[in-house]
Amino acid sequence: MTSLPVEWFLVLSGGLLAVGIFGLLTRRNFILILIAVEVAMNATILNFVYFAAFAPTSAGLSGQAIAVVLIGFAATEVAVGLAIVLALNRVKGTINVAQATELRE
Amino acid sequence: MNLEELAFLALAIVALVTAVAALLVRELVHTILLVSVFFVDLSAIYFLLEAPFLGVLQLGVYAGAVTILLLFGIMVTRKRIFSRDAATGLGPVPLALAAVTFIFLVASVGEFPSSPSTLQTYAPALLSAQLFGPDGPWLLLLGVIMLGGVAGAIYLVREGRE
Repeated sequence: MTSLPVEWFLVLSGGLLAVGIFGLLTRRNFILILIAVEVAMNATILNFVYFAAFAPTSAGLSGQAIAVVLIGFAATEVAVGLAIVLALNRVKGTINVAQATELRE
Repeated sequence: MNLEELAFLALAIVALVTAVAALLVRELVHTILLVSVFFVDLSAIYFLLEAPFLGVLQLGVYAGAVTILLLFGIMVTRKRIFSRDAATGLGPVPLALAAVTFIFLVASVGEFPSSPSTLQTYAPALLSAQLFGPDGPWLLLLGVIMLGGVAGAIYLVREGRE
C-alpha cells in the first residue's frame, strides 16, 4: 500500500510554483516565459492529481477530470503563445518582450 | 522509508533541479531538453500516484507535443538554433517574491491532516464517464476552448496581417 506524506507533495508543488513565478518575473525571452508558466501550471496539476489519489471515489474522479482539462488548457495556451511568438518575431524581429512596447504611452 | 517514498524523493529532486536549470541556462535548446526531462519526471510521479491515464496524457501532450511546439518556436525565430540568449540579472525582487510564495505555501502544510490515507486507483473507463458525466461536460468544454484557441492562433499568424 502506498502512503506518501501530503507535506512532501505540498513542498514540491510550492517549490515548482515559486520557480515558475521567479522565471515569469526575470526572463525576457517569450519562450522562456511560456516555459515558466508551464512549470507553474504543472505545480497546480500535481496538486489535483495528488489530492484526487487520496480522496473518496467521486471527489477523486472529479479531481482527475479537472487535471485532464488543465493539461488540455496548457496545450492550447502553448499553441496560442507560439502564435504570439511568431507574430512578435514578424513585427519586431525579436522575441524579447522588453521590446514589445506599442501599448505603452 | 519504503521504496515509494524513495522513488518520490528522487523524482521530486529531479523535477526541482530541472525546472530551475531550464530557466537559468542560457542556451535555449538546452532549456527545451531540460523541460522535456521535467515533463517526463512529472509523468513518472503520476504513475507513482496510480494515475496511469494522466501519466500517459502528460507524456503525450507535454513531453511530446508541447516540447516539439517550443522547439519549433525556437527554430523559426532564430538564424542559428544554438545561439545563446542574452544574460538577464536575477534581481532581488523576483527572488524575494518567489521565496515569499514558497514560504507561505510551506507554512500552510500544517493545515492539512498529516496521516496519509489509502491510495485510490480509478479505472480509465470511470474517468472517461466522469469527463462526460453528471458534474458537467468537461471534455466538451475543453474541446470548445481548444477550438477557440486554435482559431485565435491561426488568426494571429495568418499572412498579410500587420
